[in-house]
Amino acid sequence: MAKLEVEITVNGEQHKLKVGSQERLLDTLRDELKLTGTKEGCSVGECGACTVIVDDQAVNSCLVLTAQVDGSEIITVEGLESKSGLHPLQKAFIEKQAVQCGFCTPGMLMSALALLNTNPTPTKEEIKTALEGNLCRCTGYQQIIDAVEMAAEEWGV
Amino acid sequence: MVEYQLLRAHSLEEVLEILAEKKKVQILAGGTDLLVDLHQQDPKFENIDYLLDITDVAELKGIKLGPEEGEIGALTTHAELLSSPEIKEKLPFIGAAASSIGSTQIRNRATIGGNLVNAAACADSFSPLIALGAELVLRNKGGARRVLLEDFVEWPNQTVLKDNEVLEKIVFKMPQGEYYSSYQKIGRRNAVSISRLSLTLLAEVENEAIKNVQVVSGAATPAPVPFREVNKYLTAKTFAEIDPAEAGEIAADEMVGITGERWSTPYKRPALSKLVERAVKDLLEEAGYNG
Ligand SMILES: Cc1cc2nc3c(=O)[nH]c(=O)nc-3n(C[C@H](O)[C@H](O)[C@H](O)COP(=O)(O)OP(=O)(O)OC[C@H]3O[C@@H](n4cnc5c(N)ncnc54)[C@H](O)[C@@H]3O)c2cc1C
Ligand code: FES
Ligand code: FES
Repeated sequence: MAKLEVEITVNGEQHKLKVGSQERLLDTLRDELKLTGTKEGCSVGECGACTVIVDDQAVNSCLVLTAQVDGSEIITVEGLESKSGLHPLQKAFIEKQAVQCGFCTPGMLMSALALLNTNPTPTKEEIKTALEGNLCRCTGYQQIIDAVEMAAEEWGV
Repeated sequence: MVEYQLLRAHSLEEVLEILAEKKKVQILAGGTDLLVDLHQQDPKFENIDYLLDITDVAELKGIKLGPEEGEIGALTTHAELLSSPEIKEKLPFIGAAASSIGSTQIRNRATIGGNLVNAAACADSFSPLIALGAELVLRNKGGARRVLLEDFVEWPNQTVLKDNEVLEKIVFKMPQGEYYSSYQKIGRRNAVSISRLSLTLLAEVENEAIKNVQVVSGAATPAPVPFREVNKYLTAKTFAEIDPAEAGEIAADEMVGITGERWSTPYKRPALSKLVERAVKDLLEEAGYNG
């Protein structure tokens, strides 16, 4: 079956790719670009482990075909760390012990980043809404919410 | 394995052209229903040759609310609906329904058109739009036809949309004068169907009386319908004459009249009755009546 030509920017880097008709953004990121920080949990939009940011919005990369996001700008968990070190969100997750097994963490970080990029001073309710599509079996969520609150405070200054 | 070739359309004309020329085409919007079904190898899709991605078609997007009439493009996402200041101000019950759907990630992709065409028994966009008396504009290469939303669904997941048609937009008359609305929902999508219900109440009010009202439920009946008996009971009554509990009972009777007694009836009957009662109480309270 004919492949489709797609141009996407991932974490600031441009990629010209040939993708299959059934290829999900999740597959392209993990298998083609070897960005394995993004996780596959449920594959059907329920768990949020595959969350990435597409044109400033958090989406489930298991429910998007790569050809659908031709021309888009994508951020994955690998895009958080910079030359100056860990991102304030990553530091806050460590500080607040919001990471246990870590499987949900990349998705949580992406949902939190999409929130803080558009709303730098969220309320607790707004944080909960932003994270409601991300499941965590380990932490009970409180540490994660605390971490996002902390990052918002630190990032703001 | 379901095999298909993905096509991308960039204009409405291109969509209609492809639908006219090719057979076995399935339209792809936000993908939050379709890509789940494809991943789960739903046999319903064994027969498709093409997936037609319409997410880049600008003509299918956007919200326009005029003084008399309003329209919502099929590709409008639930996130766009719930963050629209116009919707919040003029049709808050549509925003409330949108914000109750899925999660942030789902709402960022999922479209109102996909919700209607997929037509799950529990789809949340139906009751607010049926309350508005909305019509769907279904278009093929030859032209467009309008279908009343309450006549669109024949059975869960089965609509009157033809293979060569695309849902272009949803059109409706704007509520006039003084009006109140309420959207309520209990249960999640994946919860067993017994515990899901949603309800929209939309009422035009004049001189402490109900002039016009629509009470519509999602997931109470196989296809979403207005509760005509409740509407009749409430219409032309003054606030003082209305008994919210009685309205609830009438709705519950009407639901059982449609579905028959089922194993879920002992749960759904009182649940629906309470939802309607609460919606009517909210209306009276919001309208400033404290009997
Ligand atoms: C985790 C999760 C939670 C969810 N929660 C809810 C919920 O709480 N409430 C709820 O109601 N739904 C829920 N859904 C279902 C789904 O998100 C919605 O039904 C959504 O609005 C579908 O829109 P879409 O754009 O993703 O449709 P798609 O999946 O792209 O398409 C769905 C169907 O509609 C057809 N279609 C789409 N657009 C058009 C068009 N313009 N013209 C003709 N045909 C078209 C497609 O061919 C397909 O058959 C949930 C889904 C998931 C995965
Ligand atoms: S893997 Fe995408 S939501 Fe679970
Ligand atoms: S830390 Fe284990 S799932 Fe969240």
